Amino acid sequence: MQKNNMIICRCEEVTYADLKKTKEKYNCTARELKLRTRAGMGYCGGRTCRSAVDKIASSLEKQKEKDIIPLKYQPPVRPVSFADLGGEHK
Amino acid sequence: MHNGIIIGAGPAGLTAAVTCAENGLDVIVLDEYMRAGGRLLGQLYEQPDGKWWNGIKESERLFQQAVDLGVQFRFGTAVSNIEYLDDMWVIYTEKEVLQTSNLLLATGAAESPVPVPGWTLPGVMSVGAAQVMTNVHRVKPGERGVIIGINVLSAAIAMELQLAGVEVASLTLPRMSEVTDVEAHPKEVMDSLLHVSHMAPSPFVKLGSKFMKGDFMKKMGAAFYPKNGVKMWDIPIQLRKAVIEIYGENQVEGVTLATINSKGDVVPGTEENIAADFVCIAGGLYPLAELAAIAGCPFYLVEELGGYVPLHSEEMETTLDGLYVAGNITGIEGAKVAAAQGHVAGLSIARNNGIRSLDYKIMDAIQHVKTTRDHAYIQFHPQIQKGRSKIQDQWNTYQRNVQEV
Ligand SMILES: Cc1cc2nc3c(=O)[nH]c(=O)nc-3n(C[C@H](O)[C@H](O)[C@H](O)COP(=O)(O)OP(=O)(O)OC[C@H]3O[C@@H](n4cnc5c(N)ncnc54)[C@H](O)[C@@H]3O)c2cc1C
Ligand code: FES
Repeated sequence: MQKNNMIICRCEEVTYADLKKTKEKYNCTARELKLRTRAGMGYCGGRTCRSAVDKIASSLEKQKEKDIIPLKYQPPVRPVSFADLGGEHK
Repeated sequence: MHNGIIIGAGPAGLTAAVTCAENGLDVIVLDEYMRAGGRLLGQLYEQPDGKWWNGIKESERLFQQAVDLGVQFRFGTAVSNIEYLDDMWVIYTEKEVLQTSNLLLATGAAESPVPVPGWTLPGVMSVGAAQVMTNVHRVKPGERGVIIGINVLSAAIAMELQLAGVEVASLTLPRMSEVTDVEAHPKEVMDSLLHVSHMAPSPFVKLGSKFMKGDFMKKMGAAFYPKNGVKMWDIPIQLRKAVIEIYGENQVEGVTLATINSKGDVVPGTEENIAADFVCIAGGLYPLAELAAIAGCPFYLVEELGGYVPLHSEEMETTLDGLYVAGNITGIEGAKVAAAQGHVAGLSIARNNGIRSLDYKIMDAIQHVKTTRDHAYIQFHPQIQKGRSKIQDQWNTYQRNVQEV
């Protein structure tokens, strides 16, 4: 298997090549890369792929920001069912 | 209403709960897993003094102690969000919303992925999953495995697998790419491995730690490292080879290895196949701090601690009122250090609840964290002390800035 076909984000089936191409084309930040490809936006909430997506995004930048987490965390950090969100259980 | 809520029932959270309850507080512990212990559950090894460290027993002991003191537990309860409203921390779980003025985040650590071509095949798992299968569920992950990623944790788990009668065909590196970094560098790996020397009866690693002190020697070490690797506990360790692909039709059938030079580049034409029915990926651990990030804690990147950690004091307070952290969320260390930190956090929470004359106890407890660290059996990063002082400096700077404003 070629390195390029390698899946990075399993939930959304985004490959290494998808991420690299998108990054090169738009020269984007980690957040933009995520929004354009959906990498990190799947069921696991990015728990599996986030650091890899982050590495690809930051491989252009020379110095990592020490006090800013590259990909923001947003609630909910765990999957919540629609029934629970909708307040069916009272 | 509770005096305190603890998220995470690992060694840090359990010890904090026991400490709070001993000081008369009414606390509740939430954990998404179905039983207490966190990552302690998977740990099973012989310590230098010859005694066995059995994580399951250790977890049960702590859990029972907490229950006897009246601590309440909610298992299978994942926290999806927390926020600070009207001087109270509001904790959202699937089924209920809880409130408290003192909240401890003891959510532990998570494993970093190392994408390798073929890593989505059935039979590929994280090394931590193999540890849980073997030591907790007592199910063999397979008959013969390859571990990709050489670090303290994967070396320890390789040994545990072997004890369970599972063959580890090789401990090797991933191929270097944009998605791997230090874990694919022979020199860096060598450096970190030297710190398992006290665990290893192997003369190689022991020798290593003596001769590899200087940076120059380490470079030479990786360059002159025998092509066919060396053995630790009879497991071949291959720093001169890297996995370029995991292959198999419907599930793992093996890996393709190739020789790499001391910079980590593949030497063409050196590919060979190794049969295996499972593969473990070991990318190292990072602090699981999502909830602290959502809460709005300031963070700082400290490589020695495993990644981004929320700013915190030695008393285990964060910069936010009534929010505490303990255990691996503050940096990757062994279970005993996590428990010692949990004790400090428990005392700080008790003090914040108005329990008096705890200052000396807190000082002692902080000292105990340091002694435990100095005697730790497993050290995940060779420069852990340095990492701890970095975060302490950042905390001090932050406090000074706040005072000036
Ligand atoms: C795979 C793996 C293997 C390890 N092996 C070893 C080893 O062999 N030896 C060693 O000394 N150390 C090992 N460690 C390090 C280990 O993290 C520490 O030993 C110790 O367990 C840390 O304790 P803790 O209390 O900080 O966190 P943990 O023991 O990780 O406990 C954290 C708990 O928080 C819960 N949690 C997390 N997020 C949420 C949420 N949002 N909602 C509800 N609950 C949540 C988890 O379910 C977990 O039970 C390992 C770590 C990992 C990840
Ligand atoms: S693997 Fe990318 S979101 Fe789950």
